[in-house]
Amino acid sequence: MSSNIERCYQCGQCTAACPMAEQEQAYKIRRFLQMEKLGLKSEEPMDIPFIFYCTTCYKCQDNCPQGVKIVDGLLSIREAAVRDGNILPAHRKIGQMLMDSGHAVPGNEDGKKRRLQLGLDEMPPTVASSEKQLNDIKILLNLSGFDQIVAEEKA
Amino acid sequence: MRELSLFLGCVAPNRYPGIEVAAKKVFSTLGVDLADLDGASCCPAPGVFRSLDKLTWLTLASRNITLSEKKSDDILTICNGCFSTLKDANDMLKEDPALKKDVNSKLAEIGHEFRGTQDVRHVVEYLYQEIGVDKVREAVTKPLHLRVAVHYGCHLIHPLKDSKLGLAGKPTFFDELVEATGATSVDYEDKMSCCGAGGGARTAILDATLKIANKKLEHMTEAGADCIVDACPFCHLQFDAGQAEINQKFAKNYNLPVLHYTQLLGLAMGFSPEELGIAMNTVDTSRFIEKVKMDTSGNEVCTIV
Repeated sequence: MSSNIERCYQCGQCTAACPMAEQEQAYKIRRFLQMEKLGLKSEEPMDIPFIFYCTTCYKCQDNCPQGVKIVDGLLSIREAAVRDGNILPAHRKIGQMLMDSGHAVPGNEDGKKRRLQLGLDEMPPTVASSEKQLNDIKILLNLSGFDQIVAEEKA
Repeated sequence: MRELSLFLGCVAPNRYPGIEVAAKKVFSTLGVDLADLDGASCCPAPGVFRSLDKLTWLTLASRNITLSEKKSDDILTICNGCFSTLKDANDMLKEDPALKKDVNSKLAEIGHEFRGTQDVRHVVEYLYQEIGVDKVREAVTKPLHLRVAVHYGCHLIHPLKDSKLGLAGKPTFFDELVEATGATSVDYEDKMSCCGAGGGARTAILDATLKIANKKLEHMTEAGADCIVDACPFCHLQFDAGQAEINQKFAKNYNLPVLHYTQLLGLAMGFSPEELGIAMNTVDTSRFIEKVKMDTSGNEVCTIV
């Protein structure tokens, strides 16, 4: 999808509105957009992991006088980085949880106990309760190559 | 009785199941049956999975939607993230026949087909537009005298902005629904700001996300709130579990109970804090529960003041 990044004229209203930039100075959405425009993304590995600091709150996009779809643009930048093998370990881990359980946040002992206390079934009526449905998820994830994306790096 | 497919997501059923119970009780009281969407998976989360591989994100989201198409109910989400993913995916596939064909070729492998017949709704938006504030107010039997810090959450507002639901502009719909319970929605600085958790940030860079949450908690406390009310289990987790992490890491002393809107409305409808799972939070809610119980028992004796 085109994210109309070419409309950006580097005014910096995006970074000014960004709650993450306020806390973490290395996170500069304006810089990432410019690098993407100039095709520099793969030459700056030092910017990883910062491209993954965005919380996708859309404040930058709301504040952009040029109507740039900034969050879409950033998600594409991240996707390209992941394709180059630059996935963060924490994201690989939740990707693996999705592969294993169908949930990014699977059930745990406390959660099961709480469900029983509330009169619910121990497992929710989701993919967590159905081997067949979980198998369907795995088929789809393998079809789109997601298993390779979250696979452990070969030593 | 109207029926909707309840999309649970991950955090509500697996960490805060009180939200699942509260949603069903509250909707049943309002004449809407929330049916389980058997076999649903992670939505998958809009920031993190969409940025790992967009087609995977879209394929899994479309499978979740096809589960409701089979039952011909619209989907009701109780989470901003699930709303963002399912609504965006639904709209994208409805508008782009080539994309739909691509996704359907994958879904065919498991015997599913995306047809594009259903809508994706969010609990707060649905209550506001389909039930209405007046009906919600009429269903309140134990008005709550609480000062509430409303947290809209980013992905509730943003899919609405681009959607045809007519709730764009400066939103007050969530505040109106909170005030229908008898509570007061307090104003506070940066009210429309992020909790910090989204986009895969909480899992990857916890401390940076807690700094963002800390700022909101500071402003909510300054405004004299009795509790935070959200409409997203992930914001809920960030404010509840995150509060304990902030207290420990940044030497703070916050003690602000966190409720999902369905839990707040459940209290106002007369359900007990215990059956709504409000005591199952990380933050100690005992003083809050005591206040609500004293308050609501007083209402029975003195209803007109």
